[in-house]
Amino acid sequence: MNTEQTDFEREIAQLLVSSLNLALDPAAIDPQAPLFREGLGLDSIDMLEIALAISQHYGIQLRSDDPENATIFASLRALAATIAARRA
Amino acid sequence: MARAWFDKREYGAAWGIRAGRSLALMVGRRAARFLLWPVTAYFFVVARDGRQGLAAYHAHITPGGAGLAQLFHHHLTFARTILDRTYLLARHKDAPPYEIHGFENVEQALQSGTGAVLLGAHLGSFEAARAAGFLRPDLKIQVIMHPGISRKLNSILAALHPGAEQSVVTLGGPAALLQVKETLAEGGLVGVMGDRVRAGEETYEASFLGETASFPLGPLRLAAALGAPVFFFTALYRRAVDGSCYYELVFKPLSGPAPPGPLRAAWMRDLGARYVSALEAYCRIAPDNWFNFYDFWQSEVGRGGRRRTSVDGSREQGRGAPTAVGGAGTATHPEPRRKP
Repeated sequence: MNTEQTDFEREIAQLLVSSLNLALDPAAIDPQAPLFREGLGLDSIDMLEIALAISQHYGIQLRSDDPENATIFASLRALAATIAARRA
Repeated sequence: MARAWFDKREYGAAWGIRAGRSLALMVGRRAARFLLWPVTAYFFVVARDGRQGLAAYHAHITPGGAGLAQLFHHHLTFARTILDRTYLLARHKDAPPYEIHGFENVEQALQSGTGAVLLGAHLGSFEAARAAGFLRPDLKIQVIMHPGISRKLNSILAALHPGAEQSVVTLGGPAALLQVKETLAEGGLVGVMGDRVRAGEETYEASFLGETASFPLGPLRLAAALGAPVFFFTALYRRAVDGSCYYELVFKPLSGPAPPGPLRAAWMRDLGARYVSALEAYCRIAPDNWFNFYDFWQSEVGRGGRRRTSVDGSREQGRGAPTAVGGAGTATHPEPRRKP
């Protein structure tokens, strides 16, 4: 598995870091590490902030009743893939 | 350890809900209120920790502290509110009356389309928030709860008032709070408790009834993220001149929607200060409505969850953890942001 960020993953990583004000280099986020709790250690309020930032930047509404929520928020890679797919 | 106090604190609610439900609807409010005396007496004797926790509270608010009789009566008030919750939710004919103060401010906020956040406390009966919903059946009210409590409550709500269980949002999954945002977008109300600190939670400190106490930072962060106006909410159990009981629902404006970016820090600091001062004011109005049955100032819980010795400033600035809340004599320990 590739742990290098793609260009788009880097863009999303930068969005996460700036919207959550993380003390972290966006390039240092492992695209396969869990975002929620373990891994990046984000909580549900952070996840809400991320969803709001994504809706603002990409016009994609993430909904609470989305059956894919468990996978969408699983990692930077999964999140970037969802945005890329739904933006198209 | 953390789990132990958590269970203990919810213990009271658990027996109260169970006892209340089965008795209440069967025998009616008058008889049920009579039956609360022996039930409360039993738990008053058995639950020593709760008694001591309340005594600590009264040491802060009642001149000279509270005697056994007053402590017992305080337990009884708690039991009565649990009982009344059953009637309110079931819309039973015995449901106690309520008065509403300050809801016009909330309505104004709702008309502007932002929804509103109700910041509550374990003071009075938060469940009576649903009573406000009775005014306007179209008004959606959602309450945020921690897993465990909500599971228990949900099954009871479902039995009493089908449909009500959907208005409880359980924290847990990464997308849990999206539902809250959606409710606000539909012009609804979202309620969250701002007083109890859970193990591992980030905290801010404020002077509360004369001594520094810790409060959870999460509700302030949530309110900031939601970008909706924030109101203090409580439903106080009051006694009328003729001896009958009623609820006084209070909606007090705390803050407008959070500003973006760097201004959020000051906004949260301000919100925390106003929340704690409102909480203190309503504790003084109805001291026996305080339903945190543990030492709010001294317990590990009250003293705050996560503590770090090193300070990593960047996130706390960004997030805007309050640095001084509640006026004179306060100190704050903004929690540093965890790093991966």
